Amino acid sequence: MRESWLSRNLRHHLTAWTCGALVIVVMVIFLAPFVWMIAYSVYPSTALQAGVPDLSLTNITLDSYGQLFSDPMFLGPIVNSVIVGLSTTVMCMAAGAACAYAIARFRFRGRQPLLLSMMTVQAIPVIVLAVPLFILLRSVGLYDQLLGLIVTYTAFILPLVIWMLVSFFEEIPPSLERAARIDGCNRLQIMYKIAFPLAAPGMAATAILAFITSWSDFFLAKVLTSNTAVTLPVKTAAFQGLFAMDYTSAATAGVITAIPVLVLTLVAQKWIIRGLTEGAVKG
Amino acid sequence: MAQIELISVGKVYGKTRRGKAAENTVSDLTYVIESGHFVSLLGPSGCGKTTTLNMIAGLEDVSSGEILIDGRKVDDLEPDKRDLAFVFQDYALYPHMSVYENIAFGLRMRKVPKHEIETRVSDSASRLDIRSVLKSKPKQLSGGQCQRVALARAIARRPAVFLFDEPLSNLDALLRDQTRSELKLLHRELGATSVYVTHDQEEAMTLSDRIVVMSRGRLEQFGTPFEIYHEPATEFVASFVGKPRMNLFTALRTKNGRYTLPGTTFTVDLGEIGLDRVRVGFRPEECELRVVEPGTHGHGVVRSVEPLGNVSDVLITLGDQQFMVRVPGFGTCAPGDRVDIITTRARIHCFDPTTFLRISRGRVS
Repeated sequence: MRESWLSRNLRHHLTAWTCGALVIVVMVIFLAPFVWMIAYSVYPSTALQAGVPDLSLTNITLDSYGQLFSDPMFLGPIVNSVIVGLSTTVMCMAAGAACAYAIARFRFRGRQPLLLSMMTVQAIPVIVLAVPLFILLRSVGLYDQLLGLIVTYTAFILPLVIWMLVSFFEEIPPSLERAARIDGCNRLQIMYKIAFPLAAPGMAATAILAFITSWSDFFLAKVLTSNTAVTLPVKTAAFQGLFAMDYTSAATAGVITAIPVLVLTLVAQKWIIRGLTEGAVKG
Repeated sequence: MAQIELISVGKVYGKTRRGKAAENTVSDLTYVIESGHFVSLLGPSGCGKTTTLNMIAGLEDVSSGEILIDGRKVDDLEPDKRDLAFVFQDYALYPHMSVYENIAFGLRMRKVPKHEIETRVSDSASRLDIRSVLKSKPKQLSGGQCQRVALARAIARRPAVFLFDEPLSNLDALLRDQTRSELKLLHRELGATSVYVTHDQEEAMTLSDRIVVMSRGRLEQFGTPFEIYHEPATEFVASFVGKPRMNLFTALRTKNGRYTLPGTTFTVDLGEIGLDRVRVGFRPEECELRVVEPGTHGHGVVRSVEPLGNVSDVLITLGDQQFMVRVPGFGTCAPGDRVDIITTRARIHCFDPTTFLRISRGRVS
């Protein structure tokens, strides 16, 4: 009896240790490049490129951050990224919240196919649309313009925003909105006085997801900009020259690009997962 | 206070498509709820009582007929223009607002002056004993407190009409009884016209001046609790109202003009009603039992006895039917006893077996 208990206990511990070890391996695989990038941004490249990297704390320096933030050629892309990210988020949330509320609350023919077809757009590889988009933006004068990027990102991210928000709005009991009607609210007032405050955490998470997606996009920004509207990820990649590579600046720019994504994801991870996994298709 | 008049009110969902008829949820409701009355809409789930309440509130459009409040047609008016308050089944308290804000919200939307809002919130909170939780959020309250806040929100509006959609159904049994009594007192104090949806006949009987019994979207009967209980207009009302349920069976006319339950010696004198078959009903609590002498058959055999303390429910097999009699205390019979059912003090309820409408009275032997 005791022996079987021991073996069961041992089995339980073995399983736990194996799972723990696997998690550590996966974390190392994912985090190692990021840690290495941080190391490159704070250590002189000479210290890292030696036979045995010299990682003593006395070598740590933030000079590269100082240099990048004082370089107007780098500040421009940061400002561009902020403008594009915020504008895309605002446009996606303004249009997405209204659409999602309508889909969540009104029963109409084709409601479900509409929702599903919007998500189908997400399945089309961006590379298929890149060249047509390039031609389109050039012909309407939006190539290498922030507005061009904002409109493009909004078109790509809006379906995901609607998908997520529908699930958050559907969670609000309809009786609350009925009570608001009795209390004297019209449809618009019900939206901004009742529905939006109740869906606020979900809306914030959705907005963060929209911001992160537009902030960290490289491919479309690379194809649709050349000089004036270059964003942070494109600028980061530009540190790789034809004959030489400025690892320190590239790593520093990489960290600067990643930090907002990291912080925002940590803040909103619970709600982002809920929004993506809870069935917007229910009902 | 206000009078509510429903004239041939109907509600249809969907449209007739490809020969498939639209769903007729409520049809041809006509009755008048007098000013200051407490009226319950009673019926089983899906009978259209909540739809009717929502149509009175303006939360659902009326498909046919019209609704008048104090003689004014309100079909096209928005809910907030009808001077009514609604207490929802799930209370529908705004979770992001405090109790105070919940009660004040409707008043703010109506642009009531601030000092007046404060007075009304304070007054309704005192009346329902929730002053101590005015700053709390609904999630911090118990079910009973939420119920009181919902009532306070309705009272603070001082409307002409109160609408209640099964407001006690989420409370436990003890709290439900207590709140029911308070609701009755509250109605007596305020005197406003109240329409109350419930599927619980006890709630309807104890609270109401009039009861509207509905089934499958139709009006079965509109009457006082006494009329509903003692003179049910249809077989549905007879079987739905009353606990335990009324004993209902089909009786056939015999050669001597009496009516008998086939396969038994149980007969009823219904007088001349001109029907060979009739549905007959007896309330279990109006019947009595007598254990017969050994060797005699009696009307039936006791199948089970369910003591409830003050009364016992005795189930009797009568031919191929079951017959329930409620006797005082723990009763004197046991399963297997042969018994006669005595109905000399009982009202006889007769219904047409095709139309299910009430037809006559008679005497039984």
